Amino acid sequence: MDFDTRVKEKVYHHFASTGSAPTPSQLAQQLSCSSSDVREAFGRLQRNRVLLLERDGGTIRMAPPFSAIPTPHRVVIGQQEYFANCAWDALGIAAALHRAAVVHSSCGQSGAPLRLEVGLDGPEPSDWLFHCQVPAVRWWVDLVFT
Amino acid sequence: MLFFRSEDLVDTWCEARGIERRPLVTIPQLWELAVAWYSTRLSAEARRPGPDEMRRIFARIGLDDPFWDPQADAFG
Repeated sequence: MDFDTRVKEKVYHHFASTGSAPTPSQLAQQLSCSSSDVREAFGRLQRNRVLLLERDGGTIRMAPPFSAIPTPHRVVIGQQEYFANCAWDALGIAAALHRAAVVHSSCGQSGAPLRLEVGLDGPEPSDWLFHCQVPAVRWWVDLVFT
Repeated sequence: MLFFRSEDLVDTWCEARGIERRPLVTIPQLWELAVAWYSTRLSAEARRPGPDEMRRIFARIGLDDPFWDPQADAFG
C-alpha cells in the first residue's frame, strides 16, 4: 500500500472512530514519519479529490462524507456523533460505516426538524426530498458551497 | 445539498434566491446514491466514481437529466 493510501486510510478510520479529523502530527506518530510528510500527502489527496483542506494546507475540512466542523446535518451512531457535509453525506455516513444511524437535520426552507432512522438496508419510509442546486459538473469547483 | 419537507418548500427556497429549481431526489434515491458513493469509502481501494460510473449510477435510479452529467456542456 503506498503512503498516500495509508494516510487516507488513517484519516477515514480516525473519523469513523472519533467523529473528528486527525492532525498531521497525530498521523505522523501512527505512520512513523514527519508531519510535513503527512501534510504533503494531504495536498496530493486534495488534488485527487479525496480530502478538502483548510487554507493552511494541514487542517482537514472534509473527508467526504465526514465533516471536520459542525454542520446542520448530524448523524448519531451508537454513542458517537458525526457531522456530514450535506444531506447526501448524512446518509453517506450510515452507508460508509455500515451501521444503523439516526440522521438529524432540517428543512432548508422552513427549518422543520428532520429525524430519519436509517437501518442497514436504508432509511425508514419518508416523503422528505433532497435538492441540489449545483450541477454535477461543478460540484468540485467550490465543494463547500456545493 | 439540502433536505426539504415538500416540493412547495423547494420552490419557495428557489424563488427567494432567484434560482432555477433542480431535479428533486427522493429519500430512497438518495440512499442509493449514498451507498454507491460511500459504502466502500473506508477500504484502502476506495475511490470516487469516475464520470462514466457516475452516469450509470444516476441513470440506474432514474436521474437522467443532464444536471447529473459530470461532464455536461450545458452546465460547464
